[in-house]
Formats: sequence, structure tokens, C-alpha cells
Amino acid sequence: MGFLKKLMPPDKWKLPVLLTGAVFTGLFLYAFRISNASSYLGDKPETCVNCHIMAPQYATWAHSSHREKTNCNDCHVPHNNIFNKYYFKAKDGLRHATIFTLRREPQVIFIKEAGREVVHKNCIRCHKVLITDPKLLGYNSETQNFRMERKCWECHRETPHGRANSLSSVPWARVPLPGSPTPVWLENIIKK
Amino acid sequence: MRSIQEILKGKPWLGWLIFFATVAIVFLLGMLASSIMERRAEAVFAYTPETKFSETEPRSSVWGELFPREYDSYLKTADTSFRSKYNGSAMVDMLEESPRMVVLWAGYAFSKDYSQGRGHFYAIDDIRNTLRTGGVPSPQPNTCWTCKSPDVPRLMKEQGTAGFYSGTWDTKGPEIINPIGCADCHDSKTMNLRISRPALVEAFEARGMDITKATHQEMRSLVCAQCHVEYYFNKNKVEGVAYLIFPWKNGTALEEIEKYYDEIAFTDWTHAFSRAPMLKAQHPDYEVFSTGVHASRGVSCADCHMPFISEGGQKFTDHHLQSPLNNVANSCQVCHREETQKLISDVYSRQNKVIENRNILENLLVRCHVEAKRAWDLGAGEEQMKEILGDIRKAQWRWDFSAAGHGNSFHSPVEISRIIAGGIAFAQDARVKLARVLAALGENKEVPYPDISTKEKAQALIGLDMKKLKEEKRGFLENVVPQWIKSGEEREKGYQK
Repeated sequence: MGFLKKLMPPDKWKLPVLLTGAVFTGLFLYAFRISNASSYLGDKPETCVNCHIMAPQYATWAHSSHREKTNCNDCHVPHNNIFNKYYFKAKDGLRHATIFTLRREPQVIFIKEAGREVVHKNCIRCHKVLITDPKLLGYNSETQNFRMERKCWECHRETPHGRANSLSSVPWARVPLPGSPTPVWLENIIKK
Repeated sequence: MRSIQEILKGKPWLGWLIFFATVAIVFLLGMLASSIMERRAEAVFAYTPETKFSETEPRSSVWGELFPREYDSYLKTADTSFRSKYNGSAMVDMLEESPRMVVLWAGYAFSKDYSQGRGHFYAIDDIRNTLRTGGVPSPQPNTCWTCKSPDVPRLMKEQGTAGFYSGTWDTKGPEIINPIGCADCHDSKTMNLRISRPALVEAFEARGMDITKATHQEMRSLVCAQCHVEYYFNKNKVEGVAYLIFPWKNGTALEEIEKYYDEIAFTDWTHAFSRAPMLKAQHPDYEVFSTGVHASRGVSCADCHMPFISEGGQKFTDHHLQSPLNNVANSCQVCHREETQKLISDVYSRQNKVIENRNILENLLVRCHVEAKRAWDLGAGEEQMKEILGDIRKAQWRWDFSAAGHGNSFHSPVEISRIIAGGIAFAQDARVKLARVLAALGENKEVPYPDISTKEKAQALIGLDMKKLKEEKRGFLENVVPQWIKSGEEREKGYQK
């Protein structure tokens, strides 16, 4: 408590400090709200199209058979333990947010090496039976390694996003992008 | 500890530092907030073009200027070259294929003319051409236009729903000239899927459901369910109007719909031979699909009939609505990694098996009708026949429910087999009872199966004057339709683009 007391401004300064602090908090809350920040803790695929440049990824997933069983996080963040999951999500997410904010996104988005590893492990996580077939192991002891080492999509190239993924590849796809940030009541007032 | 005031007295630069640091942080936070706002505003516009045409614009070509790929693929519904074993986009005279249907529908307009439909592109041509709609005045109400054109939501907005349905079919001819198109399923401002036909909204309300709560994936089937469903015309809802209703109040299963019709004692027509109070199933595609395994796995109509395709590095929804059998790679193989021929033969094997029993039921129904006619001719009483006619109604309702849906025998083979089996049981029940009635009337021998080897013979049997019907239609197509088109095009010149 003594430490907190030291931080307390002298009486004369209390009002300006209060005001400045409130300005910061207000700005922070505003940024928090318009960026749908709380959604990033969950697993909803709609969260990923908070940034509209992810529309091609969302639209292609929504037209694939994977949409019935998976969301974005099932494949794109690790699932070995919960700490790693959120660590990776925070790391990836902050990088994405930075690049999006700085408008540095490339016209065609490629997955990075760390992401590739995660996706590959997640393919195996669900489709393990397909690559650990004991019958095949009987023929060739290398089968399993051979299959694990190569990335699944070296062959399954269309799974699940298809092959054209430029930012402009799905011109009018119906994707649940965030709507106008202006609240309805405000819009009504403006219209009047 | 000294107060900040005291510290700053000695070091004024520290005050300035705090001031500028605060300015910088607030400035950057503000920039961040405005950047987020900007990108969110982009999202509002990036995937929706600004349209200038009105929300009821019926001409797909006007929409097509903004969506050339979607429009071009839509135009391919004009292609009639694909025929699968039982369906496809070619026009097939079903009465020619199975003259038994003429007898089954004796006394009802479908015995005049029934063809397997072509693509959406021909919706207007085909409803004008069919003998069922006749000439001027037409035997049909305006309700028959409901599913044919994006002019319909426009007219409903102008005249109200019941106002649109009222009057005979020929009275709205000049107003309806565009075939099924963009405005039937899309909102002109957001381009989102929308329900433009009140019948589906009302059907949801009747079941205590709210269609506005449907997800996008559900909407990808529900826009189709605006038309590809079982329906009937209720003449009591609004005085003098054939009001379009989907009979879903009790549910969408065959028995639930039947119960609904029985409760309101509804009949489509009285059969000309058997005098049975008949039901005509329309095309319960959505109801039957919903009972199938694809529906239970979350597949929508659009997933197979309008798959995503890519062209020149762009992906878009293929608006060439057609049989997936003509596009296996983009439809079936998204999930099923089997050879095309294997997948097609899987479909055919299901259809073959279902059709086998459907034909048996069809035959039995012809016999039911001619045997019942014989019983009436020999002087059977109403009381004797009542139960029999009820069985015939049930049996043919089951046959029609199976036969009328476009892809029923594939969409839900088990359900359709179950329904046909029920139909066969009712038809046989009716025939056992008929045999007793006939025997009681002194006729203890087979009632001969009529010669209905061709459509013409069957139509002559039920007493249709086909020459007159065709003559009337020819005159209508030559004299009336060109005027409709001319006045419709004149009206459209005034539309803003």
C-alpha cells in the first residue's frame, strides 16, 4: 500500500491526472470495442474475418467439406496444450494485427513456416488413422515417416481453401464481415 | 518524498517530457482507433458494390452488369443439352414417357400436359407454352406466376400479396416477362440472400418459427424452398383469391402434410374415373431433401447445385443451376473422393431401385381407378366406396409425393422407398376391397387394364379434346404473347438503371 501511496499525485494534481487517465482509458475501451477484441479469446471463425482481407480464406473454408467439422483454430493454432494454444494465437494474432494496421498485407497471403508446422500437426491430429495404417507399415517400415515428413498439402493441394487465394479472389462472397461500427441509434439520429 | 511540483521546479524539462510523451501516446492511440475504423468501413463496402437500380429491379441483365461472372453462369441455365438417366435440363414429355400418369390425373389439368422442366431461364416461356395454362381467359389463377419471375416481388410490393394472387392467370401476363433471376433470391442493396416470397415466411410463422433467424447456410437452401416445395391454393383465406400456402403447419413429413390436408378436408380435384377426393403433390424437393443424409450432414442445395468454381484466379458461386451429375468435380467430389463414373453409378443405382417400386405403384393406381370406375358403373353405393376412395387418395398422394420431386429418389432414397411401400399397401388395400365390392355387384373377374400404350391413347381414354386445347394454345401464343412482351418492354423503359 505504501507503494501505491507514493504513486498518488499530490492533491493539486489529482484533477488533471484523473482527466488524463480517463482519456487513456476511454480511448483504450473505444479501440477495444471497435476491434472486437474480446472475440479473439474464442474459437468462432467469424473472428478471423474481423479483418476483411481474410474473406477468401473464410469463403473457401465455408465451401469446403472441412466447414462441417472444423473452425479456423482447429487447424491454425496448436492443440498440444492450452498455454501453447494461446501463446501461439497471441503471437500470430499480434503479427497479423500489426501488418493489417500498417497496411503491409501482401496481395497473396502465404502461410509462414511456424504456421505450416502447426497445420500439418493438426492434419495428423484428426487424420491419424490414414497415415498409421499397420497394413502399409508391413510393406514398408518407412511409410509412416515418409508420410509424416511431407506436408499433407503437397498432394492435397485444394484442401480446404482451393488454390487461388489472392485478396481479390472472392469478389462478392457472402462472408460475415463486421457490420458498420456506428450503432443503430446513432445512425437513426444522423438520418433524422 | 518531495512532491512533483517541487521536483519540476528544479527540472522544468521533465515537465515538458511528460507533456510530449502524453501527446505522443494519445496521438498514436487515436491513429490506431481511426485505422481500425477505416478498415472496418472498408469491410462494409469491399464486398458489396453500390447499386443504383431499384430494389425491385426485375431484369437480371441490369444486375448482371455488376456481376458479370454470376450473370454469365446464370445464362447457362438456357442450356438444354444435359440429360441424366432420369432428369437433366432437357425438356422431356413425361406423359409420353409414362402414359399411366394421364389416367392417374384424369379430370385434372396435369393430364393435358406435363413435361420435365428446363432451366430457370425458360420459366416464363414454359409456363406460357404449357397446355395447363390454356389461353384467355385462363383456367388458372395468377398464383401460378408466383414462382416464375422477379417481376413477382415487384408486383407484390405494388399490389399486396393477396392482390397479386387474385384474378385469372392471363390478367397479369403483360406484367411478368422476366424469367427467374437475381431479384428472386438477392437483396439489391446488400446482395445478401433474401426471402422474396411471402408463402415461405408465412409457412415458418405457421410453425412458430422465425425465418429471419436462419443462418447463411440455411438460407442457401431456403431461397430454393421459396418454390421447390409442396403447396396448395387456399380459397377460403381471402375471399375469391387462390392464396398460396405451404401445408407445413404440422410439419414437413408426408404424413404430417397429409394430416393437415385431411384436417381441412382439402382436395385438389375429384378423380374423373374413381371419383376419389385426390391430392396433387407438387414438387416437395425441400421437404424430401431435409429427410436425407446430405441434409443431416449440413449440406445445402447450393452446395451441390451451385458450387464454388474458379475462373481466372477468381472464385465465385456457379449460378448455372443444374444437375450435379453434370458437374461432379465441383459438387460431389468436394467431399467424396471417388471416380466420377463411380459416383454417377451410385446415384443411378439408388434411382433405379426407387423407380422400380414406383412403377409398380403407378400400375396399381391405374388399376384402382379403372376398377373403381367399373364399380360405379355397376351401381356401387357411396357408402360401399367411401373407404376405398380414401385408400386411393392416400396411395396416389404417396406416389405423387415421390414422383413429383425432381431429385427425390436420390435426395432421400430411404424415405422415398418407405413412402412408396406405404403407397403400395394402400393401393392393394383398395383393390382387395374393390374386388369384394365388384363381386357383390356380380362381377367376379378381372377388370381389363386399359390400352394406354401411348399418351394419345390415354388422353383419348379419359376424353380430353387435345386438338381443341392445342388450337387454343397456338392462337394464344401467336396473338396474345407478343402483345404481353411488347407492353412489358415498354413499361421497363421507364425504369432507372
